[in-house]
Amino acid sequence: MSLESPTELDARERDALETLLKRLADDEFVLAERYTEWQVQAPSLESDLALANNAQDELGHARLWYDVLEDLGFEEQELIYERDPADFRHTTLVERSFEEGDWADAVLRSYLYDAAEELRLEALEDSAYPKIADRVGKIQSEEAYHLEHAQNWVERLAEGEEGHERLQDALDRLFPHALTLFEPVDREVERDIVDLGLRDATLEELGEEWLSIVVPYLESLELELPVSAQVDDDTFEITEEMLPEERGRDGSHTDAWFDLHDELTHTYRDLGRSETTKIMEKPE
Amino acid sequence: MDLDTVKTRAGPREFSPADDLPQEYREAATRMIEFHANSEIMGAYLERPFIRQAPSIDRKLAFSAKVQDEIGHGQLLYRAAESLGVKTREEMLEDLANGDGKFLNCFHYPLKSWVEIPMISFFVDGAAMRRQATLRRTSWEPYAHAMDKVCFEEGFHVKHGEDILKELMTGSRKEQEMTQEAFEEWWPRIIQFFGPTDDKSTHHDFAASVGLKQQSNDELRDAFLDQYIPKARKHGLEIPDEPRIRERDDGTYAVEEGDLDWDEFFTIAKNDYEPGLGQINGRKQAQDAVQWVRDTIEGDATTAGGHAPQAAD
Repeated sequence: MSLESPTELDARERDALETLLKRLADDEFVLAERYTEWQVQAPSLESDLALANNAQDELGHARLWYDVLEDLGFEEQELIYERDPADFRHTTLVERSFEEGDWADAVLRSYLYDAAEELRLEALEDSAYPKIADRVGKIQSEEAYHLEHAQNWVERLAEGEEGHERLQDALDRLFPHALTLFEPVDREVERDIVDLGLRDATLEELGEEWLSIVVPYLESLELELPVSAQVDDDTFEITEEMLPEERGRDGSHTDAWFDLHDELTHTYRDLGRSETTKIMEKPE
Repeated sequence: MDLDTVKTRAGPREFSPADDLPQEYREAATRMIEFHANSEIMGAYLERPFIRQAPSIDRKLAFSAKVQDEIGHGQLLYRAAESLGVKTREEMLEDLANGDGKFLNCFHYPLKSWVEIPMISFFVDGAAMRRQATLRRTSWEPYAHAMDKVCFEEGFHVKHGEDILKELMTGSRKEQEMTQEAFEEWWPRIIQFFGPTDDKSTHHDFAASVGLKQQSNDELRDAFLDQYIPKARKHGLEIPDEPRIRERDDGTYAVEEGDLDWDEFFTIAKNDYEPGLGQINGRKQAQDAVQWVRDTIEGDATTAGGHAPQAAD
């Protein structure tokens, strides 16, 4: 099945597509915001540049996904500047604030996210919506570098006493929020996303596969998971009690997000704008 | 090489790390390039929060690329300074964090609103472009070489800055008023970008005599005014009454130096300007907060035989 034209979608198809795209776009957009905080604050000029680069990549990906949403009739200001912050669909992992200098947070957050991003993109390679499938390749080539960068740093920090301690601390805080990467916005719509072939793996499958990668990896660095996700030797599962109170996907967010949204819409509101400026050509 | 030989030979891109140069030259060049590098970093520090506050995704992307470029320029310039053998990059960055490193007057002023962005990325960057273009002919080859890349990228920043200015000045009445207000606040500082008049400039004579500096403060400032007063007017900005600007018979401009606040300028030059301390101390705090990471890496380097690992950067 292929869903060719945005104008020929029925309500169910449209809803599924919109939900999937908002998950993707909002995740990348908010993650980029947190990365930008590291510019001129990272441990070296080289790591400043690396995170600046990540931020721009993620922002570029967000732009690609928001652009597909614009085909459905949305405008940028409705998608970002005028959208109720409680309608954003990103995982709470990307919105969490961090303490100044907490480099372990930056690299671990990136690792947890990028490991999931890799699996998610794979499951979109053959999406029934051609524009999604077309954009996956470009994003994958950049994300591979992010994951490598994050892993290099995690491994390097894990070797030192203070680094290890800080990584453990970041893991305790971030891991429950990372699990919301695999939470549905709405169970029924989520079923439609898979049934319609927009994504060819369920969130449960993605979550289990992610756990089967990150859990052994983190344990190999002698980091302890704050919750047990292992059912038996090679079976992993996310259960209700492992999740944080706010799930992100369903619109429940931590305070950090509302503060961030307030800051990022400040100029738009302050200047009394009612539309956004496009200065670049529409992405291919 | 003795100083007289340096002065005789001083020409564009004349000296490189292969030359045996006198200490006076090395120190003067280091001071100049270090100042330039520090300014790139402090400019990026000042602008970074406005990546978040940019009012559209495209602006955010372009502005984030700009801030990244500035950090890259800093990196490049520290390398050019380091090659003089006077100070290491770590020493320069440490001095900057401690409040001993000097940098551009404009980056001592706090940045409060998006309407101030074109004051930096159009006017200050435009002023920097003028100076940097002349530095492609400086006598220290690594510095001139760095300027090739910096000038190329800076051209895009100025264009983007002008586009932001144009958007604001063709926007709502409120936007226009806010922008004019920001311009009035920044205009004297922008003129002071070029430093004091030639007779009050402490380092000019020596730097010029050894070919490090290619044009005097006065020449650069006048050329800037000739180019940017018409540009400001074209975008609908009114040039403030103070400082007084004279139009010469040939249509070029000169500023009444006495109308500018030189006490403030020299307080800034000593890193003593109260409102700017927030930036200096804020950056120090941020640097201190990641010291543990640098210690970890240095620990690695010692055990691995003295090579600082690069792979994860």
